[in-house]
Amino acid sequence: MLIAFPVVMGLIARGLKNVKARGIVVSLTAIILIISSLLLVKLVNGAPYTLTLPEIWDDVIVFLDFALLAYFLYVGFRVKHPLVIILTLLQIIPLAYFEFSLPVVHVEPTLIIDFLSVIMALIICIIVSLICIYALSYMNEHEEHLHLAETRQPRFFLYMLLFLGAMNGLVFANNLYWLYFFWEVTTLCCYQLIRHDETPQAIKNAVLALWMGLIGGVAFVASIFIGYYQVGGLSLNKLMLAPHSPIILLAFACLALAAFTKSAQVPFHSWLLGAMIAPTPVSALLHSSTMVKAGVYLILRIAPALRETHLSLAIAAVGGLSFLVTAILAISQRESKRILAYSTIGNLGLIILCAGVNTSLAMVAALLLLVFHAMSKALLFLGAGIVENRVYSRNIEDWEGLMVRFPLTSAIMLIGMSTMFLPPFGMLIGKWLTLEAIISEAPLQWAIILIVTIIVGSVATTFFWAKWMAHLLLHPPETGKVKVEKLQAPYLVSTITITFLDIAVAIIAAILISTLIIPEIKSWYTIKLSLPLLNLLTNVGAFPIWPLFITLALVFAVGLLVIKAKGGRPVPPYMCGENVAGKESTVFYSTADSEFNLEVSGMFFDRRLGEPQVDKYITLIGIFLTILVFILSLVV
Amino acid sequence: MEWFLPFTSLILVVVAPFIGGILSGIDRKLTARIQNRIGPPIIQPFYDLIKLWGKESFIASNFQVLLAFSYMAFSVVAFSLLVLAQDLLLIVFVVSLADVCLVVGSFSGRSPYSYIGGRRELLQMLSCEPILILAVVGIYMVTKSFLVSSILKLSFPLIAALPAVFLALLIILPIEARKSPFDISASHHAHQEIVRGVFTEFSGPSLALIEFGHWFKLVFFLSLLTLFWAPNLWLGAVLAFIFYFIVMIIDNIFPRLTWKFMLKVVWIVGFILTISNIVAVALLGGG
Repeated sequence: MLIAFPVVMGLIARGLKNVKARGIVVSLTAIILIISSLLLVKLVNGAPYTLTLPEIWDDVIVFLDFALLAYFLYVGFRVKHPLVIILTLLQIIPLAYFEFSLPVVHVEPTLIIDFLSVIMALIICIIVSLICIYALSYMNEHEEHLHLAETRQPRFFLYMLLFLGAMNGLVFANNLYWLYFFWEVTTLCCYQLIRHDETPQAIKNAVLALWMGLIGGVAFVASIFIGYYQVGGLSLNKLMLAPHSPIILLAFACLALAAFTKSAQVPFHSWLLGAMIAPTPVSALLHSSTMVKAGVYLILRIAPALRETHLSLAIAAVGGLSFLVTAILAISQRESKRILAYSTIGNLGLIILCAGVNTSLAMVAALLLLVFHAMSKALLFLGAGIVENRVYSRNIEDWEGLMVRFPLTSAIMLIGMSTMFLPPFGMLIGKWLTLEAIISEAPLQWAIILIVTIIVGSVATTFFWAKWMAHLLLHPPETGKVKVEKLQAPYLVSTITITFLDIAVAIIAAILISTLIIPEIKSWYTIKLSLPLLNLLTNVGAFPIWPLFITLALVFAVGLLVIKAKGGRPVPPYMCGENVAGKESTVFYSTADSEFNLEVSGMFFDRRLGEPQVDKYITLIGIFLTILVFILSLVV
Repeated sequence: MEWFLPFTSLILVVVAPFIGGILSGIDRKLTARIQNRIGPPIIQPFYDLIKLWGKESFIASNFQVLLAFSYMAFSVVAFSLLVLAQDLLLIVFVVSLADVCLVVGSFSGRSPYSYIGGRRELLQMLSCEPILILAVVGIYMVTKSFLVSSILKLSFPLIAALPAVFLALLIILPIEARKSPFDISASHHAHQEIVRGVFTEFSGPSLALIEFGHWFKLVFFLSLLTLFWAPNLWLGAVLAFIFYFIVMIIDNIFPRLTWKFMLKVVWIVGFILTISNIVAVALLGGG
């Protein structure tokens, strides 16, 4: 199965000391996973595929779960972090009680693979596999920089692949207990991968991620309890169908809280920023496709059960807040990976907002955003990692003129950034649908607030992306001889494939919607979307997808023709005629004819918008909104 | 009505740059008269454009020509989508795509003037865009659709339901038209510290492309204002031109203000106007 296979392969990779052999094992795993995830689409064809495993497996899971919690407890004592200890105990004690009093963990069916699971599994298997391939090269370079005596790579790949398996388990599980177990495994992998470099900072951030993750675990245990006593079983399916009562909604609120911690929504956003200390493939893994998407997945999973509740709108509010504040904070950042981290939190917020709005079009928008964000963000992280290993800096101001130094990587980064916020790419299709869905379907008083939030947030988004894109292109003209850039094969395979996928899937977004998204949501919502000639048509608007792509291609082609026809003589930048002849083009005569080198930078507004100034306020608002989620869960 | 839509659109797209050019010519004439000069002939902008196109191409950055071309092309695309009566929200996004091309092109010039120009252009975008999107939301509240065609089907002019939204659009008209007091990035008057900052590094053919694109954008924005008067489109067009002339006069009276002031005014006034109008429409039950 998709769960066990990567775990086994991970263990094999752990044992292999030889770099080449490990490379082969990892690549093989990746290929097999990609193929099997594609086969999964066939498997689900029509109705959800269900599977019931014998009860012995439940015992195995319970046993492993306690082992895992014991390990967390051990970690808590070793790093002497009281929060970790307390939060772990808060899970162990209730679970032990649960085990001794009510031994029926078994649920039928154990696994349900529906279209949402398939979408997630496709993202996980394809993107993460590519990230693992990328890591083969990256980790070699990374360890070269660190001058390690002994390679830690076997362990690294063990956790990467373990992560993959756990994520697949997470999206297939129907049994709440199983879901909880896989959830905790991802927390474990997250902790281990963040502290991979074992610097004091890395360890500190890993512990931060751990205790925030454990809050989610505690919330999960609470929902298991409520679920069991109220519904009489641990089936997520049954919980979803239970009639709304405050106590049931409280269980959902707990699940939502768990999702917020995992998706790093606002009061819990600091762990994800701390996680940036880890090697880049880890960031890509945590961010783009898995870890953080686990929370979003859970929200999307429970959303249909929360239709027309206040709880759902409170969830939307938390997502909206995250989207707004992270977009604004991202403006003030200079460090590439932190910008990407903020943008990730923001976009997850947007997806959660859509799920919270919880209408037919909003759910389609959420799923579109989920898919496209995974691809675009993975691409950006991979690109950022390559650049970092060459420029030795994460500061985007040092990335000035990268387009000339590393044209291929920069082009990939530029495409990645464009796909994040410009039409006609995937994320924008999602954002367009989000806006239209909210205006046309959400209750009006909420719609106006959410719309303003999204508008301000997306303008800020445009602002920081455009600024960053410009930095990549900023260069003096005489270095204009573009040299060919060489990349290692794993880099090439991973980045080019994702670039291609990102654009291709956007062009055929209509096919994605009709084969995977509509079947997923049609059992809960009425479909308000039609796809004439593979374009999007809703009852309120229209988005011609491929005509826009054709226009884009035409503009590019004709633009290149114009360049060819007109040529162009490079000239030094305009500096009121004060350029110094014979020197670099950025040197100019300043006062008293002294020569100065021109430097341009800025537009971060960090005195006004910087983290230290605003962070505590947004955390407070975030905590307030999270509490609001719980209060509103009591109002049916 | 349906069958001749493509033809009318085509005609409009072809005619648009002429309107834009002539407007720009009238602008220069009017400005000259206000300043006690005689001024160039009305069709001078066309001569300029042709001359610029024929000049030798100097480039300060390798990507500028492509980006200038993209700016022009996407301005045309945005206008075409408007006359094809497509989705307004999408059109606003395409306009922002065109702007991003210009901003990035200007930023990449490496000259401090063009760099600062690019920054300011980005800030101008930052101030306009939310108001534009909110205006689209307002229009949706009345027509219950994002398609431009639904505006044309209304039995009453939009202005009757959305006067405040219209006013908010008038406030951003000087930004879109690059006029004082909000011509932060590309002022062509000599009373500023950086003249035409955003265009500093564009010259010859690429400047011609940008100028051409700007005419389209201007006509696009005036058409948007015209739509508020549908079904009386002719009245709307006349009024839009009158508003543009008022902007020209204001341009000659006011000095340029700082971007912070612009952002504050446009956001505070714009948000209050649009949102209050949207709420009012909602309370009164969709017009």
